[in-house]
Amino acid sequence: MYDTAKLGTDVNQNETKISARNVQVYYGDTHAIKDVNVDIEAKSVTAFIGPSGCGKSTFLRCINRMNDTIDVCRVEGDIKIDGEDIYDKRVDPVQLRAKVGMVFQKPNPFPKSIYDNIAYGPRIHGLAKNKAELDEIVEKSLRRGAIWNEVKDRLHAPGTGLSGGQQQRLCIARAVATEPEVLLMDEPCSALDPIATAQVEELIDELRDQYSVVIVTHSMQQAARVSQKTAFFHLGNLVEYGDTSQIFTNPNDERTESYITGRIG
Amino acid sequence: MTDASLPNTGGAPKSGSLHEIDARTKKRNAAEKRFRMYGVAAIATGIIFLLVLLFAILGNGLGAFQQTFISVPVYLDESKLDKKGNRNIDDIKKVSTFGYNPLIQKAVLKAVVDAGIETPLKKSKDMKALISASAAAQVRQAVIDNPALIGQTVEFRFLASSRVDGYLKGRVHRELLARDKNIDAEHLDIVDGLKEIGVVKKTFNSAFIFGADASESRAEQAGIGVSMIGSLFMMLVVLFLALPIGVAASIYLEEFAPKNRWTDLIEVNISNLAAVPSIVFGILGLAVFIQFMHLPQSAPLVGGLVLTLMTLPTIIISTRASLKAVPPSIRDAALGVGASKMQSVFHHVLPLAAPGILTGTIIGLAQALGETAPLLLIGMVGYIASNPPGGVIEGLMSPNSAMPAQIYEWAKRADPAYYERAWGGIIILLIFLVSMNTLAVLLRRRFERRW
Ligand SMILES: Nc1ncnc2c1ncn2[C@@H]1O[C@H](COP(=O)(O)OP(=O)(O)OP(=O)(O)O)[C@@H](O)[C@H]1O
Ligand SMILES: [Mg+2]
Repeated sequence: MYDTAKLGTDVNQNETKISARNVQVYYGDTHAIKDVNVDIEAKSVTAFIGPSGCGKSTFLRCINRMNDTIDVCRVEGDIKIDGEDIYDKRVDPVQLRAKVGMVFQKPNPFPKSIYDNIAYGPRIHGLAKNKAELDEIVEKSLRRGAIWNEVKDRLHAPGTGLSGGQQQRLCIARAVATEPEVLLMDEPCSALDPIATAQVEELIDELRDQYSVVIVTHSMQQAARVSQKTAFFHLGNLVEYGDTSQIFTNPNDERTESYITGRIG
Repeated sequence: MTDASLPNTGGAPKSGSLHEIDARTKKRNAAEKRFRMYGVAAIATGIIFLLVLLFAILGNGLGAFQQTFISVPVYLDESKLDKKGNRNIDDIKKVSTFGYNPLIQKAVLKAVVDAGIETPLKKSKDMKALISASAAAQVRQAVIDNPALIGQTVEFRFLASSRVDGYLKGRVHRELLARDKNIDAEHLDIVDGLKEIGVVKKTFNSAFIFGADASESRAEQAGIGVSMIGSLFMMLVVLFLALPIGVAASIYLEEFAPKNRWTDLIEVNISNLAAVPSIVFGILGLAVFIQFMHLPQSAPLVGGLVLTLMTLPTIIISTRASLKAVPPSIRDAALGVGASKMQSVFHHVLPLAAPGILTGTIIGLAQALGETAPLLLIGMVGYIASNPPGGVIEGLMSPNSAMPAQIYEWAKRADPAYYERAWGGIIILLIFLVSMNTLAVLLRRRFERRW
């Protein structure tokens, strides 16, 4: 892999949170992810970039085993979180997903109240002993999601009644409410306006102190702004992985260069 | 191909003025107008048929809700009803309805004479044609309930015979009497006379709605109430079996089952089952439930089981459709916060699908409520002279009929009075069906959610 120490721009030298070795993903006969090796650091933001259909979402969904829900999907290779193989037989994907939260490309709040949207995860995982604790978790999560001020007066209004940007922040708040260790975000800003995008980016930057954040994005600027590490995928291959500053200023692979300068994709 | 637009480079329009409609546009507009006219014509035809049907049903059936009654004071002769005079209930019970008939006929004759109606019919026996055969049982029951009535003159309100009733409703005509050996013109003269003084009267007949079926010769007494209870018990069986089984099967197939050749096969066969003629389910029920399992014949339990088989595919198909309509993003969201598959289904998907499931179930029930053919095969049609059942077990196990089967049975009978009752039964059945469908629509409106 790339020697991050030599480049010397990394903010915090962290231990590895997620490590993937020889990961292959097949959708039936389609080979969607080809032999990917990557180490994702704890307490940092990693961006996945690459042209449409290159397998970013597919790889992201491997990390919390959301691919299990797709019948034709088959995953090979090792993915370890904190050294534990998440595809081990003993692992219950439900427990894994409580540890690895996910925010989807399209905001998908539950058609329930704002409060219940946030409280649902803590409730099913038994994180609150009583109503007061639950209230506290809800408030804390909504504050973390940078949406508390907008919704504090209507916690019992339906979550689906919010604007697209508010809904996405609600989904982020919902994801952090279960206290995950890793947060996966699949194009979280693709439905948002620039102001909401800025809010979400700010939020991602804050989340970095506690979580490993992996974000898929189509916006080079966004990747450059929020991430410390960047991975470039192309046609199912991980072409290049390294410090964001290095990838955007001095890519090693010419495919990376063509993509970030807008020649392929 | 003037409108296959090539990029228009010049400033001037390629074709003529916009104020003149060209031939192509004219043709297109004409076609559109024609199509709209076909649509309007189709809908108008539909509405006309509906109106004709409605008028036919109401015109033929409303009469069944009214019935002619004859009110006369009856002298309950002690020498006939209690010869020993000691009011011993067992002795009183020994007097059959035959013992009461002469008293009633005498009472009617007296009313005729008192009214001063001129008639060649001087014998009390001649009055038999005016009164329903149920009258004697009515008086006997009153006497058994209260033996103290013996020796007194008590006012009774008897059902008129179906011919008298038909005469008042315009179903029995004087010109056709020659062919009718049940009633003569002289009887009708008496009826005219008694009607004037209010002894014979047509009023609302709740017994038609709540009463039991009657034998062939007592059309005036027949009601749809008991078969309504039969239908109710069948619907309960269907609801309590088909809804949970259907919903569980659909949830499993839609959310949990692997997609493979077996589940495909099951899916195809469920759709096929929905198209199986209902009489096939009837013969299946006969073979399995009655001949093999020895469940009682003609019982609403068996009817309900057969109708459950018939309704299941409908419920499964509509439940699966409403589960499919829940966007997958909701499932992803639930799984994403660490809900198990079952939690995601029961906490999120099912509540969203519930209005659709309920609507499907109600429509399935309505279908089952109107179903007749399978009931013919398990013996739920025919003259079932039962009283309303005493409890749930009896309601499920004792022989009964169902509303549509009762209607079919009435339509089959010879007496034209039953023809009217068949139409009346259809009115009641339609009221049930329309209210169930309305409920389904309201539920859907009320709980429909957007996400
Ligand atoms: N459910 C699926 N069934 C079959 N093939 C799939 C499925 N999901 C994705 N694929 C295929 O896998 C490949 C990678 O898809 P993926 O969604 O991971 O791309 P992506 O990089 O996220 O693209 P985008 O930027 O457009 O979201 C594509 O070729 C796609 O056609
Ligand atoms: Mg994607």
